[in-house]
Amino acid sequence: MKKIDLHIHTISTVSDYHFDFDLSKLKEYIEKLEIDCIAITNHNTFDFNQYNTIKDNLDIIVFPGIEIDLERGHLLVISDNDDLSEINDFSKKCKRVNNLIETKDDYITLDEFKDIFPNLDKYLVIPHYHKKPIIKPKVIEQIETLITAGEVSSYKKFKTCIKDSESLVPVIFSDSRYFSEMKNFSTQQTWVDLEEITLSGIKSCLTDKQKVFLTKEEGNEFFRATAEGLMLSTGLNVILGQRSTGKTVTLNKIHNTHENIKYIKQFSLLQDDAQKFEELLSRRHSSVSEDYLKEFKKVVDSVKDIDLKQNEVEIENYLNSLLKFASDNEKADAYSNTKLFSENHFGEKDLLGLKKLINATVALKENTEYKTIINRHLNAKSLESLELDLMKEYIEIEESNLKKDWVNTLITKVKDELRFRTSSSIPTDVDFYRTLIDNEKIKKFITIVNNIKSEKEIDKKEIRGFKIVASTKRFSNASHLKKVCSRQISLVPAFNKYHEPYSYLLALKKAEIEDTEIFKYFVDIEYKTLNKLGFPVSGGERSEFNLLHEINDALKHNMLLIDEPESSFDNIFLKNEVNELLRDISKSIPVIIVTHNSTVGASIKPNFIACTKREIVNGEIEYKTFSGFPADKQLKSVDGETIDNFEIMLNCLEAGQDEYNRRRNQAYEILKN
Amino acid sequence: MKYLKIENNKGHYLSQLNEWTEIDKISKEDLMYLLNNAITDDFEMDEYLEESIGHKAHQIVYKSIQEKFSELLGNKNVFKDECDSLFKTAIEKYEVTEEE
Repeated sequence: MKKIDLHIHTISTVSDYHFDFDLSKLKEYIEKLEIDCIAITNHNTFDFNQYNTIKDNLDIIVFPGIEIDLERGHLLVISDNDDLSEINDFSKKCKRVNNLIETKDDYITLDEFKDIFPNLDKYLVIPHYHKKPIIKPKVIEQIETLITAGEVSSYKKFKTCIKDSESLVPVIFSDSRYFSEMKNFSTQQTWVDLEEITLSGIKSCLTDKQKVFLTKEEGNEFFRATAEGLMLSTGLNVILGQRSTGKTVTLNKIHNTHENIKYIKQFSLLQDDAQKFEELLSRRHSSVSEDYLKEFKKVVDSVKDIDLKQNEVEIENYLNSLLKFASDNEKADAYSNTKLFSENHFGEKDLLGLKKLINATVALKENTEYKTIINRHLNAKSLESLELDLMKEYIEIEESNLKKDWVNTLITKVKDELRFRTSSSIPTDVDFYRTLIDNEKIKKFITIVNNIKSEKEIDKKEIRGFKIVASTKRFSNASHLKKVCSRQISLVPAFNKYHEPYSYLLALKKAEIEDTEIFKYFVDIEYKTLNKLGFPVSGGERSEFNLLHEINDALKHNMLLIDEPESSFDNIFLKNEVNELLRDISKSIPVIIVTHNSTVGASIKPNFIACTKREIVNGEIEYKTFSGFPADKQLKSVDGETIDNFEIMLNCLEAGQDEYNRRRNQAYEILKN
Repeated sequence: MKYLKIENNKGHYLSQLNEWTEIDKISKEDLMYLLNNAITDDFEMDEYLEESIGHKAHQIVYKSIQEKFSELLGNKNVFKDECDSLFKTAIEKYEVTEEE
């Protein structure tokens, strides 16, 4: 069995954050994690000289490689290491890739890739598969070589691929950058069932899911949790240990070694403040509010700039100027007497409705799914001629609009010329159509606002017995509005108009509420959490609900870590709700619980347990971790030391055997009798 | 129903009080009243003919207003369609039903 890591960065490119490569760190990583083979895969670049230096300084096999930005995904191309002219040729090809990438957003197209690498069979090609940014399956299909393996980003995805007969063979690599200040080494490497490392040997292993593993001896049921060698189950793990023995330190280490981890820290879920809890709920469920108000936002966007008063002023100006011009008629001169001087502009016809109609006809004509039904009522030929007729009409109106537009421009020009030469005032113009549409918009806006303000339940979700109910609620006063307003401004004048939607809209604008935020000021969306009996939750229940929510949320992550859940919850809740949920989740992602509570530690039936111990060696504090299966008599440390499992359990969970016996025989038995 | 007419060589409009008034007396409010009826009511008016109005000022005012209304009536169906589709999704989404 050999441990390989074929995704290593040693050059800071435009696609990386800045780092100064440190060869000694890479060396330390390889020694500490006992890696047998690596590939140097920098973003769109290969530095032959640096490769030689790295290769000469390491005692393991180093393959030359590159990570290419291909069609917005990432692809590893790894070359063989035994033929100098081949590496030279690979280096030249990499230079061509490099010339095409100038910024972090650039990528090469499939055609460019094929042109640079016409013969891919001699390389090992591994796409980002279940890892962002992925190479789309469509692109993988078009790459002209056999691709059998794909890189994944987590143990969960690795295990899923192993079980899925359709999927590529998964590989998991560190994808790390090595610099002097780095503190934690990744433990993500892949074991391959190989005696001697060659590129063709690795390629052959990567065609068979039976030949890739997360661990050397325990297959895929375990993973290396820390660089120090702590192995844990990909299922449910419990870490035990007395106070100050390094349980939280171990958890932090695991957290820093892996990516995308859900870490529920001790006491972090206590929720005594009802208002803060409601804010938290609003944040969590902001998508409900957004979704509910989405259409209303569009309405507000459409009416926010309508000024009905200004529309009236325009009509007044039009009328006054017209009447004045008519009464001044006797004074009219040769210029103002021309017809065009008092001519109105042509109104252009709106084509939006017709456009929609044409699109609908085209949709009917081109639909294949319901073709039989459509053709039962409308034959293809008449749909065709309908489309044609509508198009003709469209072109006619469009033509007439263009002509009107041309004439309107001319009228304006002539009017402007005449105005300079006459003492008569020119009649202004007004758009009656727009005025009416504006009126109509405001009427509908008012109806919508009045409806939206009627209080009702808009969403209900259930999380393990708890119900989260979202309801709309009228704003009750100006300070209630502060809930949606992050700025320090007085909203009293605006709120006085709350009952008149249009005046309120104008008042909000006057209060300088940002246009994009106005829609939030019409109705509040309130979230309530109800317990199993349908009553609002108490402080303790709020914390319980939080824990259940957080654990549910963990499925979006690669791993779940919980530090002493018992610190905030009672035993019945832990046993009835939490244990079952954690067991369920551990079927999908590794779960690691730190505890010294017997309800969690002893009743949850973990797949694997670890125990931390603090020792003073030569005046220095040393933290040790022992691990094993729950039924093992002894737990083992990485260096082979053992401790008694039963004793650990009783010491950590029950305050020692004597106390456990005393409590069982005296305290509980007496009460029972 | 008729709202603009030519009679005795002069232009007239139907006011809010349902009285025929000479066109040069028309106010902003009258115009708004006509505007609102143009879309909702069966709106009729006499065509403008230069020779049928003797008064020059009446000619100018009647012609301008009649033209503007005539154009608006030409777009009556477009207006109706546009109003029908206006905020349709929002109206349906936030409609208060009986049960609520």
